[in-house]
Amino acid sequence: MIFYQVLVNGVVLGSLYACIAVGFSLVWGVLNIINLMHGSFIVLGAYLALLAYSSLGLAPWWTVAVAAVLFFGVGYLIQRFLINRVVAAPVMLSLTLTFGLDLIIQNAMIYFFKADYRALNLNPALGSVALGTVVVPVDRLIATIFALLLTFALYVVLRKSRIGRAIVAVRVDQDAARLLGVDIRSIYAIAFGIGTAMAASAGTLLALTFPIAPVVSYAFLGKAFVVCVLGGLGSVPGAVLGGLLLGLVESFGSYAIGPEFAVMLSFGLLIAFLIARPQGILGRRGFE
Amino acid sequence: MSYAFVRSGLVAARSALAVLIAGAGLGLSGASVHAADVIKFGAPLPLTGALSPEAVKAKQGFEVWMDMVNKAGGIKVGDRKMKVEVVFVDYQSSTPKAVQAAESLITQEKVDFLFSPHGSGAAKAASNVSEKYKVPTVAATASSTQVFDQKPKYLFGTYTPNETLLGPLFPLVKAKLPTLKKVALYTRNDLFPLSLAQAIENNIKESGLEVVFNEKFAINTLDHSSALSQLKGAQPDWIFVTGYINDNLLIRKQMIDQRLQAPVVTMITGPSFPEFVKAAGVAGSENITGAAWWDAAVRYKSDDVFGSTEGYLRAFKEKFGSTPDYGSASYTVAAVALQMAIERAGSIDREKVRDALAKLNVNTFFGPIHFNEMGQADSYSPPIFQLQNGKTVVLYPPSVKQGELHLGVK
Repeated sequence: MIFYQVLVNGVVLGSLYACIAVGFSLVWGVLNIINLMHGSFIVLGAYLALLAYSSLGLAPWWTVAVAAVLFFGVGYLIQRFLINRVVAAPVMLSLTLTFGLDLIIQNAMIYFFKADYRALNLNPALGSVALGTVVVPVDRLIATIFALLLTFALYVVLRKSRIGRAIVAVRVDQDAARLLGVDIRSIYAIAFGIGTAMAASAGTLLALTFPIAPVVSYAFLGKAFVVCVLGGLGSVPGAVLGGLLLGLVESFGSYAIGPEFAVMLSFGLLIAFLIARPQGILGRRGFE
Repeated sequence: MSYAFVRSGLVAARSALAVLIAGAGLGLSGASVHAADVIKFGAPLPLTGALSPEAVKAKQGFEVWMDMVNKAGGIKVGDRKMKVEVVFVDYQSSTPKAVQAAESLITQEKVDFLFSPHGSGAAKAASNVSEKYKVPTVAATASSTQVFDQKPKYLFGTYTPNETLLGPLFPLVKAKLPTLKKVALYTRNDLFPLSLAQAIENNIKESGLEVVFNEKFAINTLDHSSALSQLKGAQPDWIFVTGYINDNLLIRKQMIDQRLQAPVVTMITGPSFPEFVKAAGVAGSENITGAAWWDAAVRYKSDDVFGSTEGYLRAFKEKFGSTPDYGSASYTVAAVALQMAIERAGSIDREKVRDALAKLNVNTFFGPIHFNEMGQADSYSPPIFQLQNGKTVVLYPPSVKQGELHLGVK
């Protein structure tokens, strides 16, 4: 039954989208920074996975942890020393800053990795599993599971840990949080670090699925935007729901009205949400 | 493997540096040689912006020619030899700027001859400048007949028309697969892939085959799974995919994921590049057919400065340490054609060289070059090839054929 195949395609794709978007949503929601470097961090994560596999034979699911730690540090430093300087300024300024930084990262990637498309081919290949006539690629299945695990972990951190609660507090009321002794600048840097770590981890997993090249970052960034608006800013479950919704709409849309319109459909959905429900499916202030 | 990874990074860094240095030295280059002994060629290239990877290849194509000619003492013009210099100008991947760049090369840099900017659209736009100043111009990568349909007097294109690219593959497939009936077409919604798909549709109609799936996908599509599920349901004998290397790689990967198999799968343009096999793997690329205006696997004897295709490959490898793909070779042959026209004219007088180009009929490492009355090459059959065991095997034309078509793409 092609219906079930299209449904499974949509769910798997949706989970990948959620994985792409969750860190972006966190940074936008908490810091009110639209981080245009997000796509490039995903691509950098993918290059890390490629390097780890080609030089050490490490499969991407092992590289996830390394990527998370490494890029947490990168994100923390970028926020602490660069973005914190403009974080209180109007959003346009931080947008321009991340745009400029992204140009630097982009050109550095072209410089060091070339503009060629590469792919991470596991040997032996993972193949796909068949349930009746419905086929699911194993690499996408693994990425889906990890994406959901990572997202769940982030959700738990934000809900249960002291730092998580501090991030939420800063998001809800910055002044009150400061009065209660929260170090705002440090929390900002931590939140940005987490967002960057999520992007790079997503990238290591996506290396199995998508061809890797510096220019791919913009496609990821575009999806992250749409997912955030659909799911609601700053909400972890919202990113998952938004991702799934987008994946299903694209999958069924491509099937029903042709693949030519799948990309158009996702941006059409974005506009519809901005008009009818700008806060998204689960959008609200803070993480509860 | 890690060595290769790091090394490719270093090579990239080095070539980026070379581009920078070349750019910085633009105003000075050629200053040491007495101007009268040098023939200047203008090349507007998209060195920055979206098309920059193409420009890197183009520049290599010119440089390998320039080195070879200058090492041999220069181009023979009448009874003396003149060195060559190609002046590169970046037009930032923007067609209006390409036209300006072409004009400034003629008026400011005082070049003797011109090359067209990249692709059919930009070549057509810039051809007005060549006509206005009456400068013989060779287009290296203009395949659409629309570029030449107004019969420009000074423009010559070394690519044969789009229709010639895949037409000869049809009888080959039919001979191997007599039951051939159902064809699927999956096209990137973009200028060149669309015009190519149009040419393929004409070929399909002429062959009396049935199109069971015909869809376009948008630029920046990240997922093809639903379209491919549908395509699989149509059970085609032959699948055509047009697009660029990133699309081809993603679609190929998702075909394998979905266990989508067919006797014949043809992809344009991905398999023309060595990166395709590297990224898709030997198994993933096995038996994929493709075509391009040139491939490093063809073998021609030539009367040009390289002597043969092997000679060209050797010279390129010596200079850049790699095998050229058709992106570089297309620019080299444009320069070679102009050089041979100058030699035949025995002069650098623009009118004489134009007439020599119009009458040109020569053998090059790229294949025989001759232009029809519109100025577009009509003298060679672009090679059709198949990836077998990670290698490119030429199936057509018979003069450079290396193997037989294999059926079955898994």
